[in-house]
Amino acid sequence: MIKIENLEKVYKTEEIETTALNGINLHVKEGEFVSIMGPSGCGKSTLLNVMGLLDKPESGSYKFIETELLTLNDRERSNFRKRNMGFVFQNFNLIDELTVFENIELPLIYNKVPAGERKKLVNEIIGRMNIVNRSGHFPQQLSGGQQQRVAVARALVTKPKLVLADEPTGNLDSTHGNEVMELLCELNETGTTIVMVTHSSHDASFSNRIINLKDGHVISEKINKGRTEELI
Amino acid sequence: MFKLNLKIALRNLWKNRTITAINVGGLAVALSAFILVMMYATYETSFDKENPNYDNIYVVGITYPEFKTYYTAAPFAKAIKQNFPEVESAGLVKEGSFELTIKNGKNTLFTNKILAADYNAAKILNINPNGGLIKPAGDVERLTYLSNESMKTLFPNKKDNKPEMVGFGASNSGITGIIAGSIKNNLHSNFTFDGVSIANELGKNDNYDMNDYTICVQVKPETQVVNLEQKITNLYQAELLKSKAGKRIDEVKGISTFLDPLSNLHLKPKAGNDAPYKTLIALSVLGVLILVIASINFTNLSIAQATKRAKEVGVKKVLGAYRFQLTTQFLVEIFMQCFAATILALILAELVLPNFNNLFQTHLSIWHINNGLYWQLPLILGVITLIAGIYPAMILSGFKPAVVLKGNFSTSKQSYWLRNGLLVFQFSVAVVFIIGLFIINSQLKYMSKEDLGFTANQVVYIKNISIFNDPIKFEPVREKILKIPGIKSATVATFIPGGINGINNYTANGIKANIDFVDVDFDYFETLEIKLKEGRLFSNEFKTDTINSAVINESAVAKYGIKNPIGQTIRGCNIDYKIIGVIKDFKTQGFETAIQPTIYTIKDPCGGYKTQIMLKIEESKMTEALANLKSQWSTINKLDGEDFRYQFLDELYGKLFKKQEQLQSIFFAAAILTIFIAILGLFAFAKYITNGRMKEIAVRKILGASDIQILKLLNTSFFAIVVIANLISWPLAYILTKKWLETFAYRIEMPILPFALSALITICLTVITVSIQAQKAVKSNPVDALKYE
Repeated sequence: MIKIENLEKVYKTEEIETTALNGINLHVKEGEFVSIMGPSGCGKSTLLNVMGLLDKPESGSYKFIETELLTLNDRERSNFRKRNMGFVFQNFNLIDELTVFENIELPLIYNKVPAGERKKLVNEIIGRMNIVNRSGHFPQQLSGGQQQRVAVARALVTKPKLVLADEPTGNLDSTHGNEVMELLCELNETGTTIVMVTHSSHDASFSNRIINLKDGHVISEKINKGRTEELI
Repeated sequence: MFKLNLKIALRNLWKNRTITAINVGGLAVALSAFILVMMYATYETSFDKENPNYDNIYVVGITYPEFKTYYTAAPFAKAIKQNFPEVESAGLVKEGSFELTIKNGKNTLFTNKILAADYNAAKILNINPNGGLIKPAGDVERLTYLSNESMKTLFPNKKDNKPEMVGFGASNSGITGIIAGSIKNNLHSNFTFDGVSIANELGKNDNYDMNDYTICVQVKPETQVVNLEQKITNLYQAELLKSKAGKRIDEVKGISTFLDPLSNLHLKPKAGNDAPYKTLIALSVLGVLILVIASINFTNLSIAQATKRAKEVGVKKVLGAYRFQLTTQFLVEIFMQCFAATILALILAELVLPNFNNLFQTHLSIWHINNGLYWQLPLILGVITLIAGIYPAMILSGFKPAVVLKGNFSTSKQSYWLRNGLLVFQFSVAVVFIIGLFIINSQLKYMSKEDLGFTANQVVYIKNISIFNDPIKFEPVREKILKIPGIKSATVATFIPGGINGINNYTANGIKANIDFVDVDFDYFETLEIKLKEGRLFSNEFKTDTINSAVINESAVAKYGIKNPIGQTIRGCNIDYKIIGVIKDFKTQGFETAIQPTIYTIKDPCGGYKTQIMLKIEESKMTEALANLKSQWSTINKLDGEDFRYQFLDELYGKLFKKQEQLQSIFFAAAILTIFIAILGLFAFAKYITNGRMKEIAVRKILGASDIQILKLLNTSFFAIVVIANLISWPLAYILTKKWLETFAYRIEMPILPFALSALITICLTVITVSIQAQKAVKSNPVDALKYE
């Protein structure tokens, strides 16, 4: 589904040039759950941002089901993103002024889904995430785990082909962290492709494949046999 | 989506309600000031605009070497009409020159505003009596109409529009006349009146020597006015030479005519004062400045709050929002605040209007459909939304989601400079107004304390219609007046100090010049306590004083360059006057106009009517003397009969200061407003800055910083802003106030104190405002701040 070739990204400040991605090649199949790991500053978040069309690389190619995405303009990128991708962040990034329901509804609004259907879809996902009695609350009134469930619900409500997760358990305790990981696994089992950046090998163990980055290079790739076997 | 954005906007505004209130409140105050200015500007620029021929009506004026005037000779109107086919119509008008008493039984109307107009002028100026304009015909030479208000005074119960018989002057005068009907007095016209007298023809027997009327012409559309002006000048010069006015060719060459459009007449008449125009411009600039300052608050605070909205922008972009959607969202938010401010502003303006109308002598109302507000307000709303909102909207919508969602967010250096720049601008304007206010106050104080050269206190000016050009005629009146206890002296003259003197041509020392003249009676100088410099004043012990004696002022001596004036001759009106005395200059025209060279004579066939009676009365016996005058007036001055009316001269003279007092009020309001709005902005901005530095303050406190050190830290940057604003404003305020002071012939030296005071006031206000905010940060527990972070 995803074919990334020779991706390069350089950050320039007044004095220093930092190469964040240095000729990355990466293929992700449809329905796969891929973890990207590596030390701080290895370029894993940059890679995720490029995959999510939030950042532009200097050179290389990024094909999504045979469509080259790096040649798109800002508007086309926005359109592509909202139709095909969902995001989960470490710090949840819910809008404080909107309730749980409204936060989850937001991507549907941008996708011009009619109001009646929006209500149905949101209620459905709220039920699935087990946060029905929280739908009128504001984010500050929820625990970290609950906030991340809302964020996951928001990422899934549009039924995206690809979910990008940036350290989704980074701000959670282990119980809540596990809950979120199980949620992602369930999602993956229904056919959604997931790419997750993480520091935690425990979290990575939930995925099919683990890619290790260092200084902007892919240094190793490991098939997670346990999980793959489990799947088989 | 709109509904959701609206929710976000409202919840955000509520969350930051102090800042929202400051923002909306400040803008509402500024907008209300601006609304008043707009209404005033619309009103002032639309005098007579209801006239269907507004753009084609001109008043004919004459330019003499020394001055311009609208008074010209009656026959010239006919000549213009006959000679120039592009002139559709020409008519004559004349304002009433003295007060008239009109009576119906016990109801009395005192009026000095009876406008005389011929039929043509009435048509040109759209003067329409109720029931229509009728041309007087046959034996009826004039038809007199009274304004609805005047009619109500004389005939309170009258319902129809039928003619009525009235009496003129005292009830024993026996003069009666007919009032043909009533007419609406349009206060929004250059020609206002208590009544109007429409004649078939005016100035029938006048010649080119008698400049008593004003000519209005209506030209055909698309007339070349400049050409016509030149042709009218040529005609006027030719007519002057033909007539018996006795002008020489070289004299006539120096005289020209001009056409002043009806649209100029109210604000900047060519023969007159353009002060109303200047006031309007000053007010408009002021209104715009105040609005700009309030808009700056918006921009400043919206950018300041950008950090709080960064996450929202990032998330929305990730979820697929386009940049223009976000820009629109923020603009709509600012529009909502501006809209709320506009509603508040209208309420405020309505509350302030009575005082405003009183100060500017206007009749403005928000509810008049023709005040232009219905299109001006939406326009202004749109413009301020754009001015105040576009920059923050662009900045906010331009955030990169990959950056802001990681929390690596800081407002750029660029917006830091912009925000500080805007604060400097706000304070600079406030400083200019503060300095202006202090300097205006100083000048007004000087004007109220400075010696005028004459004493207007305890001088009573009596309105009178008897003409006392011959001193013998006034003598019995004076005798009777002086019998009343408390009255020290009595005199009569053509003009009173504070009014406008006449101008005539006089020759002395071989120099011919137009100078002011005042025709007086004995005791004129004594009544006004005008000081003698040399020679003597008029006295009935010298018979020649009523024939050919003159007293001149110091300025006249200087104008003619006379070395030893006493005994020398000054010639005017075919009389060789002997100069018997020189008086010290006194400020008859207030402080703006330099004292004019003036001649005072008792006999002057070319002068005006001596009708202005002035009495000096002892202060302790004032009430008693006035009561006696009132009861005895019908025997003292038969023509006025029972209608004794008076005014105190100091009150009349005080009207010369009205314009300056108006300016003082405006500056007072503007200084308070700008300071208020700037401080509001500063308050909100300091609150924001302090909140943003809570972590830094906590760390500093843990490392041992004292409260004073932290207060100092937070105040430093604002202190610098205010100092810079003062430095920028001082030269500007200096230039502006110097220009203003130069409009006075008699003025104060430029003081330094206002500059120092403005700095002191702005610095104190800033330190207090910032410290109130900083206090909270200083008092808070550092652990809380760090935990929060």
